[in-house]
Amino acid sequence: MTLDRRLFLATGLCALTRPAFARDPGREALAREVLVTWHRLVLELVRHTATYSPPVAARAFGYLGVVAHETLAAMDPALRSLGGQLNGLARPHVSEPQADKALALHSALSDAAGVLFGNTGPMGQRAHGTMTARLGADLATELDHETRTRSAALGQRITAHVLDWAAGDGGAEVANMGFALDYTAGPRPEDWQPTSLIRQQQAPLLPDWGRVRPFAMPADAICGVALPPAYDTQPGSEFHSAALEVHEVTARLTEEQKLIARFWADPPMLSPTPPGHWIAILLDIADRDDLPVETLAAALARLGAAQADAFIACWDAKYRYNLLRPVTYIRHHIDPDWTPLIETPPFPEYPSGHSTQSSASATALSAIFGEDFAFEDRTHLGDGLPARHFPSFRAASEEAAMSRLYGGIHYRFGNEAGLAQGRCVGAYAAALEMRA
Amino acid sequence: MKWPGALAVLVAGAAQADPVVPQFTEETASAGLGTIYDGDWQFMVGGGVAGFDCSGNGFPDLFLSGGAGPSGLYRNLSAQGGALVFERTDAIDLEGVTGAYPLDIDSDGVTDLVVLRQGSNRLLRGLGDCRFEDMTEEWGFDGGDAWSTAFAAIWEAGADWPTLAIGNYIDRHEDLFPWGSCTENWLHRPEGQGFAPPLALTPSHCALSMLFTDWNRSGQPALRVSNDREYYRGGQEQLWQIAPGQPPRLYTEDEGWQQLRIWGMGIAAADLTGDGFPEYALTSMADNKLQTLRDPASGRPDYIDIAFAAGATAHRPYTGGDIRPSTAWHAQFADVNNDGRRDLFIAKGNVAEMPDFAADDPNNLLLQSSDGLMVEAGDRAGVASMEVARGALVLDLNLDGQLDLVVVNRWRGPQIWRQSSAPGGNWLQIRLAQEGANRDAVGAVVQVLRDGVLEWHDLAVGGGHASGALGWLHIGLGAADRVDLRVIWPGGEVGPWHEMQANGFAILRRGDAPENWQPDG
Repeated sequence: MTLDRRLFLATGLCALTRPAFARDPGREALAREVLVTWHRLVLELVRHTATYSPPVAARAFGYLGVVAHETLAAMDPALRSLGGQLNGLARPHVSEPQADKALALHSALSDAAGVLFGNTGPMGQRAHGTMTARLGADLATELDHETRTRSAALGQRITAHVLDWAAGDGGAEVANMGFALDYTAGPRPEDWQPTSLIRQQQAPLLPDWGRVRPFAMPADAICGVALPPAYDTQPGSEFHSAALEVHEVTARLTEEQKLIARFWADPPMLSPTPPGHWIAILLDIADRDDLPVETLAAALARLGAAQADAFIACWDAKYRYNLLRPVTYIRHHIDPDWTPLIETPPFPEYPSGHSTQSSASATALSAIFGEDFAFEDRTHLGDGLPARHFPSFRAASEEAAMSRLYGGIHYRFGNEAGLAQGRCVGAYAAALEMRA
Repeated sequence: MKWPGALAVLVAGAAQADPVVPQFTEETASAGLGTIYDGDWQFMVGGGVAGFDCSGNGFPDLFLSGGAGPSGLYRNLSAQGGALVFERTDAIDLEGVTGAYPLDIDSDGVTDLVVLRQGSNRLLRGLGDCRFEDMTEEWGFDGGDAWSTAFAAIWEAGADWPTLAIGNYIDRHEDLFPWGSCTENWLHRPEGQGFAPPLALTPSHCALSMLFTDWNRSGQPALRVSNDREYYRGGQEQLWQIAPGQPPRLYTEDEGWQQLRIWGMGIAAADLTGDGFPEYALTSMADNKLQTLRDPASGRPDYIDIAFAAGATAHRPYTGGDIRPSTAWHAQFADVNNDGRRDLFIAKGNVAEMPDFAADDPNNLLLQSSDGLMVEAGDRAGVASMEVARGALVLDLNLDGQLDLVVVNRWRGPQIWRQSSAPGGNWLQIRLAQEGANRDAVGAVVQVLRDGVLEWHDLAVGGGHASGALGWLHIGLGAADRVDLRVIWPGGEVGPWHEMQANGFAILRRGDAPENWQPDG
């Protein structure tokens, strides 16, 4: 399953809204479809809403996953609430074993999406409203009044509980699309400098994101990274050699390497962003393997927590080291006319965010599906990029990291530090107990 | 040419240290324009205005899009130099109109009107005295059934009937999942005294502005298309090669075209650097582009962005206190203060209630200064409206030589401003005319030699945001009281130089000496 519109319509919402809906084999499978369908919509909202830079998107995905799991946990005593496991989240103390999973999830996800992805534009608002009404009506068709009421109320209550928790994490309000309004460049030669010709991006993205409350990672033990190589402009120095490698690698890219760079570029507002990319991978696996709804919800919660924490840890490190991008160094010290293959993101280099969050994602997903779980990544089919096959989540994360070197936006050491940091972050999400 | 060099010559020969800020007086309440661009999400884009003389008195009349409501044609009753006064006619009240462009399609000497709509586009033939008849079917024009949002026209070499490009937006029937539903753009080429079935300009990426432009001065205009990345998949800005008798062909990366993905909403073109090649202003959200050729001598359509260096990003409100990013629509180059330097007007307004973007988003009036930088003056000039703007036109509505302004706002009535500056720089306004096809010489270039510097002024129909004008071509002259002027006519014939006196109107008929013109009364 991809984000391609035609496939979406063919297998997602349409399957739920057509008259044959009533013949669907079971509410369990239907509940999973509700979960998938809402997530596919929010992937679109992320792509088409300016607020959702990767860290902000990861946060929203994370809370949506928690909403899904907690809703099911309130109906199934075999599931363990994340209350008491995630930083600051109390158990909802709600038990509704008679509620309908599909309708409860729909109610919960609709409310949650309306808040977590509420900055979307008029067409996104319209899609959200239409999905809420149409899907809700169809899901309620076979249910008696009491079940409908109980299920909808459960979803709403769980969402309110989670959103109340989310509101205090320090990341709920994002102004100016996350860009600081003013920025004074640091005094050191290695300090980050703006790399974009876009005026808004003369200040870096989300400089305080490292202070957002993590999900599973302890706030007082944020996963760090080793010191980057000492800044040096002398040829032969470790730093100069790392920059020279970027210059040389990008000068002789193969078509495959260019494809890899573009496949993992995942630019905001032109893709579901890096965390959305991994959500899309999971949704495809859910469709391919007919994952039970509980398994998918738990996986979304774990993956979301890992990704949200990955950006918090990574951003904490980025602004500790405030390291300049390869384009800045190379143009000053190696080649004034050099241009990277993909656009350099508007924030410090070290470590690589995509590497951190891909590694964290791989760690969380490997804990669920296994270390050698093969899959096909079809995230960008709709944008004309072919599917890629991976033998494991780890292999995918390593390719994602390497893509940043091919793209010319990270030094190798930034990618490697990100991978290591992501393993640390992902371990916390992997350790979450999802079953009682 | 590297961008610093391009910027350095952004303005050639400028003498004044700072741009003179023109003064505008809003006359919305008294001007008599009542059409509201109304409607729900189906009209979140569009909202154009067409300016052209339908009455025959030389003054530009106005046609205003009404969105879900009726559109309106307004006869210009203004006196030369006087207050702006319009009277609504009952000639055109089409509903579902998103924009319109004037064009003498049948070359009968009376301007016609291309009307873009939600639904079937219409071709209205001008009958004189602001009367029209719908000739859509008679001319074999397939109006289609789409959400049309962009237009451009050109006479291809040897053609006696125009080629019309129409840009379309998302599938308006796709209420749940509009993303990735961009519908096909169309190229309507001539067939006899009418149009052949349209060619699909695929891939289509939700066009919001189109412009035929001779980007490389080859004499064969190409079609620039600005696309809204909000809704496309795998899309980008486009440049189509439109060669007579050949299928349209996109310029490729190998040829120099660089991928650019923006919320493309409007195109304006003018040669700002003095090298003869047009620069392009592209409006978007949170950022706007000003493109110039990286290396004009290369012949490659490889553009670099000089908006930041030139002070033309217009990315955020500059007054009113709302610091969220801007949403930009209509763009138009014009010399609003007659200092001989072309300025840039940008209409601004939130899509609807997008919380990431400014709600109080003033229109921009970027004045080009002597050092080539653009200086914001919308507030000082009195045009920093906080309404939700879409289309607009900068044109001389009362024929006093000073450019006025009309802006279409979503959900609210249009606004109109008369320029009330004290007389300053000199100006010249001309109309081109030729016999046979393409009576208004669309696609011609007017060259002006002023103080030893050659300026290029293109006569185009298209671009902006759903808005276009046909009529007097206004040229600011600064301190010059006379200039030399010649025309490169469609087809490439270069006319003779004419010495032109400042501060007047002239009609240039192909093959004839300039004919001075004055409005009656």
